[in-house]
Amino acid sequence: MSAAPTPGPMADILQGRARSRQGLFVGWIRALTPANSWPALAGLLVFAAMLALQQLIEPGTQRLLTSVFLFVALAQAWNIIGGYTGYASFGQVAFFGLGAYTVAVLMNNYHVSFWAALPLAVLVGVVFAVAIGLPLLRLRGHYFAIATLGAAEGAREVINNLTSVTGGGGGITIPTFGSDAPTPYFGKPGFYLAFLVLAAVSVVVAAVLARSRFGYAMVAVHEDEDAAGAVGINTTVVKVVAFGVSAAIVACAGAFYAFQQIEFYPTDVFDASFTVLMVIMVMIGGSGSVVGPLAGAVGLQLLSQFLRVNLGNFNQLIFGAIIVLVVVFFPQGVVTYLRDAWRTRQFSILDNVRRYRL
Amino acid sequence: MIAPSEVPSVPVLEVRHLAKRFGGLWALRDVSFSVSEGEILGVIGPNGAGKSTLVNLITGHARPTTGQVLIGGQDVTGQRPWVIAHDRVARTFQIVKPFRGLTVRENVAIGAMHGNERDRSVRDSLATADELLDLVGIAKHANAAPMQLSVADARRLELAKALATRPRLLLIDEVMAGLRHHEIESAVELIHRLRDAGITVVAVEHVMKAIVSVSDRILVLHHGSILTLGSPREVLSDPRVIEAYLGHRYVKRRSE
Amino acid sequence: MSQFLQAAAYGVVQGGLLGLVAVGFSLVWGVMNVVNFSHGALAVTGAYVAWVLNVRFGLDPFLAIPVVAIALFAFGYVVQRGLINLVINAPIFLTLLLTFGLNLVILNGLQLLFKADDRTIDTSYASQSFAIGAVNVPYGRLAACFLALGITVALALLMSRTRLGHAIGATGMDRGAARLMGIRARHIYAVTFGIAAALAGVAGTMIATVGSFNPTTTPGQLTLDAFVISVLGGLGNMYGALVGGLVLGIAESLGGLLLTGTWVNAIAMAVLIVTLIIRPSGLIGKALYSGRVEV
Repeated sequence: MSAAPTPGPMADILQGRARSRQGLFVGWIRALTPANSWPALAGLLVFAAMLALQQLIEPGTQRLLTSVFLFVALAQAWNIIGGYTGYASFGQVAFFGLGAYTVAVLMNNYHVSFWAALPLAVLVGVVFAVAIGLPLLRLRGHYFAIATLGAAEGAREVINNLTSVTGGGGGITIPTFGSDAPTPYFGKPGFYLAFLVLAAVSVVVAAVLARSRFGYAMVAVHEDEDAAGAVGINTTVVKVVAFGVSAAIVACAGAFYAFQQIEFYPTDVFDASFTVLMVIMVMIGGSGSVVGPLAGAVGLQLLSQFLRVNLGNFNQLIFGAIIVLVVVFFPQGVVTYLRDAWRTRQFSILDNVRRYRL
Repeated sequence: MIAPSEVPSVPVLEVRHLAKRFGGLWALRDVSFSVSEGEILGVIGPNGAGKSTLVNLITGHARPTTGQVLIGGQDVTGQRPWVIAHDRVARTFQIVKPFRGLTVRENVAIGAMHGNERDRSVRDSLATADELLDLVGIAKHANAAPMQLSVADARRLELAKALATRPRLLLIDEVMAGLRHHEIESAVELIHRLRDAGITVVAVEHVMKAIVSVSDRILVLHHGSILTLGSPREVLSDPRVIEAYLGHRYVKRRSE
Repeated sequence: MSQFLQAAAYGVVQGGLLGLVAVGFSLVWGVMNVVNFSHGALAVTGAYVAWVLNVRFGLDPFLAIPVVAIALFAFGYVVQRGLINLVINAPIFLTLLLTFGLNLVILNGLQLLFKADDRTIDTSYASQSFAIGAVNVPYGRLAACFLALGITVALALLMSRTRLGHAIGATGMDRGAARLMGIRARHIYAVTFGIAAALAGVAGTMIATVGSFNPTTTPGQLTLDAFVISVLGGLGNMYGALVGGLVLGIAESLGGLLLTGTWVNAIAMAVLIVTLIIRPSGLIGKALYSGRVEV
């Protein structure tokens, strides 16, 4: 019965011998081949093209693209917690509003420069995410969605009522001109660049996370938390970190948005429709991938602008109807549908509708 | 039974007076036993005897109402599953729980990424996964989706996932149920090979025949309590075991 | 002191009404596991139906209730049968999104038809009140509260005493088993949603009678109230919705007295979250679903 481990290849595999101990990044760079580095190259090309495009377009188009970049960042952020990790947060706008108000309060009340306020805004977002994440990430499904929705509404009400600090419902203004301005206003070209960089950073963060050990852990938590725990994944840490990373990106976006808007109210930056737009963009694109939310954000933002320009008062009505139709016809997301259809050569939309019907 | 002199001073797993109540029902009641290094312990019992509950309590997937679980002499009662996994305890699930969105290879690689002695990169983990898939015999399905696997192969995947965490103690929950004869034989052979590689095994089974050929000792659970614990021969000849398994009518008929 | 009594009395009558807003929402959530973002919009739709009947034909809002209920039931039945049933098995945020899209369609449709103005249904009696000691009780609110109580009790009886109620309950607990028993789940779900829509419409009519409504802010507020109340009361629990409504109504009116600004809303959200964490099955009784992760 005294079975000493038999030396040999079997024991090696089972008991684990140290594999290569090269650093993470060295490993990645060595692993790059022309076949698997094309997404990175394509991303770089798009980024460069967007930089070049800025010189060619009129201010209106520039503003539209700036809002597209904002939503690319927000959609990527939501996808980290809602798509990869499987916790559908309906309260991400809380981090947006907190980021916006941190920057506005610091710049307005304490004359702090934007660049000093920005990291603090991100910090506030992350701290709030960890604080509510620890208890709420134990809830599942609708319960998590409702609890996060409640947290966002609650955060708005707190900002709304801390009148002496935030100006309450009367709104807040960031000084942007003359000697009062802690940081000179960026102007349209400056914000185009700022949001472009933010979008790029969020895409890179999502892509790097997705391909890392942590990315696999998120997917495992999404699929089955019992099984994830059994293979050594600390599910609590994975969920809270994913929530925190998502919150950091959203808070950062909120900070830039605040500076861009100059003047805003709690109802603007805590507007639940920001959250819903994040969810819709991820869902329409296809969750749990990097391309899905990117395509969803670009497509939906351009569409909604098109509707606003061409349909006047009817634009929101049609927008709602489009959401309904997309949910019914492409419940797995348009990008995912197209990918699967391409692979299996089955394009029938009716078969697609049968997927989740009663 | 093992003679006292041969028992290592610290058992790999020790369970003391373990009990679990669900509402008004005791799923497990005052269960105590220990498993020494390199041993294969079979746990059998009819449906609802508390076998899966026992595994869940040991691996932290449920909290015991009372009692203690010790791994290598350390009290781990009520610890979360990943803490237990990092104490080099791995398990399979009776109802297989693959990560459906990933390939078979990736499923196994996750254990290598997050278990013990873990690989530093995803690429290394995938290489480890390939070796383990080869070991359990489903290397040809490495790129398949786990839902496409047959019942037997899904169980093998479950085993490979657990092994990827580099356990010293492996708890397998009904790996052989529903398998065909030759599949059971290869599973038995695999369990022996695991033991030879230094892994202590607790095998929970419903199928008596398979467990008898693989175990050093067998623990019989009945209505949440230990009915008996001993060598396969002792357990098989115990009339209480036969009665619990086959009903008293069978016992009566045999004695006639 | 009399101020407190007055606020408490107001809270009770308001709470009954809020309970009626929430009961349908809770039913849909409990039976179908669908969180209906468009619930408030359905309530406001009912309010507009009653308002139009009142303005065009001079129909009393209490007499308009049957018409509102039938119209909203039909609308709800079609929505469930034609849309929500198609994605009922999809991941949860899809049904949330579907009802959110529906919400946008209804709200903007109403806004295009009726403008964004505040509306109210005028009656000779709604603003009149009688006094008990120092406490004034408006007739309209009291009547609305009793109606809400009556309807909730009727719904609870429907659920516990009738074949239809049993079918709804059974489908909510285990759809597969219910279908094996010959229950037509598609139809039952549609009826459930229709009932919820009808109740929302009736609640909207009452709100329009005792106060005012508009298509932009009222629906969102009502949906949010329904959320809080359903969680407090336990999902799918009819009496729970009433209790939750009373708790929220009294808390809001007392809170309004004691706290400045809208702190009371922040506190309502805190209560919602704490309830979800420590008692996801609601303050009383048991819910059909439990949202806690076991590990």
